[in-house]
Amino acid sequence: MSDTSIEAHGLTKNFARGRSALLDATFRYEGSGAIGYLGPNGAGKTTTLKLLTGLLRPTHGSALVNGVDVIQHRKQALADVGAIIESPEPYPSQTVAEAIAMVAEFRGGRSSDIGREIDELNAKLDLPPLNARCGRLSKGQRQRVSIAASLIRDPRVVILDEPTSGLDPKERILIRNLLNDLKKDHLILMSSHLMQEVTEICDQVIFISEGKILLRDTVENVAARFRTRAVEVEFATPLLLDRIKALGPMVGDVTVVGERRFRIGFDGSTSARAEILKGLVGLAPVLSYQSATLVLEDAYLALMQGDSQNQSLAA
Amino acid sequence: MDRALLPTDFAQWVTAVRRQLRFYVRTWRFVGLLLFILIVDIAVTAVGLYYGMKGTSASDYLYGALGAMPTLGVIVGAFIGGDAIAMDFGSGTGYFMLVLPVRRTVLLLGRYAAAFLAAFALLLVFYTVSLFGAGWFYGLGAIPWVEVVESVGLAALFALAVLATAFLFSAFFRSPAISMVVTILVLFLAFDIIDGVLAITSVEPWFSLLYAGEAPALVFESQPHLTISPPISGVTIHSWNPYVWEGAVIMLGYFVIALVLSVVLYHYKELKG
Repeated sequence: MSDTSIEAHGLTKNFARGRSALLDATFRYEGSGAIGYLGPNGAGKTTTLKLLTGLLRPTHGSALVNGVDVIQHRKQALADVGAIIESPEPYPSQTVAEAIAMVAEFRGGRSSDIGREIDELNAKLDLPPLNARCGRLSKGQRQRVSIAASLIRDPRVVILDEPTSGLDPKERILIRNLLNDLKKDHLILMSSHLMQEVTEICDQVIFISEGKILLRDTVENVAARFRTRAVEVEFATPLLLDRIKALGPMVGDVTVVGERRFRIGFDGSTSARAEILKGLVGLAPVLSYQSATLVLEDAYLALMQGDSQNQSLAA
Repeated sequence: MDRALLPTDFAQWVTAVRRQLRFYVRTWRFVGLLLFILIVDIAVTAVGLYYGMKGTSASDYLYGALGAMPTLGVIVGAFIGGDAIAMDFGSGTGYFMLVLPVRRTVLLLGRYAAAFLAAFALLLVFYTVSLFGAGWFYGLGAIPWVEVVESVGLAALFALAVLATAFLFSAFFRSPAISMVVTILVLFLAFDIIDGVLAITSVEPWFSLLYAGEAPALVFESQPHLTISPPISGVTIHSWNPYVWEGAVIMLGYFVIALVLSVVLYHYKELKG
């Protein structure tokens, strides 16, 4: 058994008036890799991460990191954990270097090593000037400082709550590359609203809604289960919609997306997808032909739709 | 990298004190308090020097000069410690600090020690100016140094008590600004009003921190424990002065009880919303 792990056992959190923010969440991940934690606003993602880092106390159940209970032995449990929850803010009067060095000192860093480690993180994260006061940084800069602070001393478990929130596209790419590199020998649990980000970084996903875990699986399995059932095609020249509909029974709903772009529904099978492409090429020169949405987005929408239907039925 | 080796609680406490002290002395409120103390104290001392208001002895002079200690101590303590816990639960600082592998008790006691050092440094400035005035009139040899040490010790205890109380109040608020204002109102105005109301009864305000704060000045000149003025319009005014030991006990009580409660609240408080 690996000594790097994140576990939740029947983890439940009730807030005022008995409202359950998280209900009986159970999972265990060990070793290395990245797990995406997906769900709509208020689903219970941040609550779970707060419970895993000891910021909240569970109503029932337990949260363990590296085999240590977070509530019973907080210091030991978080010894090898770097975490970003919500929007962390270093002390405003601290400089960037001081804020990161403080975290390193708390984690046992020697002063002789801390400067070098900060320089390494600076190279990876393109930090703001190290002597700049944290109180004067933009939201994106503060977020990068927080990410650097969470990664100083190289903790093997990394818990991130929407890590690219507030970052511009360039900064997002920077973080994405960093996490892709990190997941090779670290265990990362990250919540996100950005399906593309999760698709590009994570190996496994957890879908959560209304405090309940709906699905846990590898991204591959989810992709197989929720195959995309629409393609988008772009032609070099304008085309009448009816001509696409007339291609045959394998073509489902057709909608106009742009002047020369259409979204075509089908049964999701590979053969139908290939047959449609063959027909489209015969109509006009095709510039592009691709899945209309990301696999995880399809899965997310299907799961959330199913969940809301269940909620309505239950009501 | 030696992953398993986290520093001891004591080493982390030292880190917390050092880092937090640097945070406190860099804030505008610390600089503002320092300027406030310097300007007010130097101005009052200068006026005293100009008009020859030197009292009857160095002890008498210091008793008068340190009469402002309760007010000053409360202002300093409330401004420095009034948002100590609220800052973690009402701003993003908590999300930065409380996910670290440090016991919350260690973090809070580190912050408390740093707040004490910052507050005590300000009170020492106040003492320095007062001692300068006493030395000017009577010479350094006339200053009762043993009483000065005793008074400084009591002032330190007073700072500890006020800060512990301010820390405790700050545990009940999410907004650091509101927390600080309420702390000042309670410690300063509420105690002052209660002391005033009790003056027309025969009840000694033994529970008032402001009352206890008179002890550092009383070291230099003992005053009657109770003075009853002749009735005016049927109302008798009772003026109380704490015994020095009594003031110390009250401060100690506030220090211990408020600090323990602060630690417990900080330990169990959740970071919601």
